[in-house]
Amino acid sequence: MDGMTTTAQTAAATTVVGFDQVTKTYGAVRAVDGLTLTLHPGETVALLGPNGAGKSTALDLLLGLKQADSGTVSVFGTGPREAIVTGRVGAMLQSGGLMEDVTVAELVRLACALHPRRYPAGDVMARAGISEIADRKVNKLSGGQAQRVRFALATAGDSDLIVLDEPTTGMDVSARQAFWATMREQADQGRTVLFATHYLEEADAIADRVLVLHRGRLLADGTAAEIKAKAGARRVSFDLQGPIDEPALRALPFLTSIDVSGQTVRIQSADADATVHALYGLGVRPHNLEVAGLGLEQAFVAITEAEEAKQS
Amino acid sequence: MNSLIKLELARALRNRKFLFFSVLYPAILFLIIAGKADSVTKVDGSGLTVPTYMMVSMASFGALTAVLMGNSERIAKERESGWVRQLRLTSLPGRGYVLAKTASAAVVSLPSIVVVFAVAAVVKDVRLDPWQWLALTGAIWAGSLVFAALGVALGYLATGDAVRPITMIVYFGLSILGGLWMPSTTFPQWLQDVARWLPTHAYAALGQAIEQSQAPHTKDIALLVAFFVLFAGGAAWLYRKDTLKA
Repeated sequence: MDGMTTTAQTAAATTVVGFDQVTKTYGAVRAVDGLTLTLHPGETVALLGPNGAGKSTALDLLLGLKQADSGTVSVFGTGPREAIVTGRVGAMLQSGGLMEDVTVAELVRLACALHPRRYPAGDVMARAGISEIADRKVNKLSGGQAQRVRFALATAGDSDLIVLDEPTTGMDVSARQAFWATMREQADQGRTVLFATHYLEEADAIADRVLVLHRGRLLADGTAAEIKAKAGARRVSFDLQGPIDEPALRALPFLTSIDVSGQTVRIQSADADATVHALYGLGVRPHNLEVAGLGLEQAFVAITEAEEAKQS
Repeated sequence: MNSLIKLELARALRNRKFLFFSVLYPAILFLIIAGKADSVTKVDGSGLTVPTYMMVSMASFGALTAVLMGNSERIAKERESGWVRQLRLTSLPGRGYVLAKTASAAVVSLPSIVVVFAVAAVVKDVRLDPWQWLALTGAIWAGSLVFAALGVALGYLATGDAVRPITMIVYFGLSILGGLWMPSTTFPQWLQDVARWLPTHAYAALGQAIEQSQAPHTKDIALLVAFFVLFAGGAAWLYRKDTLKA
């Protein structure tokens, strides 16, 4: 028994967030369906999925805003509410409204005052890049500015975990890049960062680890590179002269899809090196050979389609 | 939580429309209603002159406005906008939001009482003993908590477009039927029978008893306590339901 206790304590110490068989339903819809996952200290994790995948519900469960129908959610080895009360979690909600008729500075000062491990409000605003709009009324902000204010509220103190639900909604490209630079500073200080997004390039560019959520279930969990591999993530294209032996091409190893139009062949492969090697083994002489990585966008579409095909 | 109360207060004091209706409007209404009245005619069965009687009615009305109008609509709006959810991601205790709203409303309701008293004393020569002024202020202020609880309950009951008309109906219904705008003795008998059981009637009766140099009637206090329990219980129940849903 002693040994088990020690193991459990060690797991708790190295686990930032733990979901164990968590299910949440709304009527007939399973928004989160048997979700099991673990976040470790210092990770920057993207929770990726289309609208309706269950991202927001999963984050609400993590933050104690909703209660799971079954399964357990733990944050730093305690319940979500305890983790928030002790200031270990800072969060920014997609649906998080802001108090109206007050200035940005007043609102940030309030968030700092409410944080058990508060930072000075001036520093928080400077880091979030909202010092210039400190005196502006909260209800007069643009969408991107409001997002930055929400980010300031989420980083008002020294939290160990920062949770961001679609943080760059309403921002243009340059604002988005500036925002991610700000967020990376948070991660570089050793914090664990979890953000939900459907901007796949963001997950690819920023996250150490990507969790793909689809219909409330965890579809994939790995680095962005692993996710791409899982979807058959290299595109190989080449031209052939003369008649094309399609069945032979179709039998190439690691091939996941093939498209032949005229003399041009386009292949998706889970292991482009092996596929190309075998291609030369067929004795054909491909011209204009190109091997390119799939963006996470396409990888994601492929994973989702595969999942839907399995279900129907 | 003090920081939230302070900010709620700063924001209420900045809202000119709200300040006008809760602080100045009751005093203006007092002047309109009691303006032509002399200081001799008594209101039926009370032994009080019209200005003295209406002073308590309007002070109660002002306090009612301050605690009911501001909160119900704000709470409904902030539930919808997600600010209430955002606050739940802070160390603020769950009840803190509602308590801060109530506390800030109570601070605004005090000037609305005092302004009516000042206008009544200066313009209509209402004269009372010092203890009566203090007791009146205390009783009307404390009694306004009943309606603060009602405001919170309405804020959690209704959403969006519905909250304003519902609040208005409750507000004017309670004000007029409870006899805050005109003595309920002018009502037909059946309406007087209804009015007697309204919290606003008991609320104004508290102050009128003090003006008559009496202790407030047990029935009025009991009625107010019962309504407070009802409204606060309803608010707590609706709050919990909202928390589970959000």
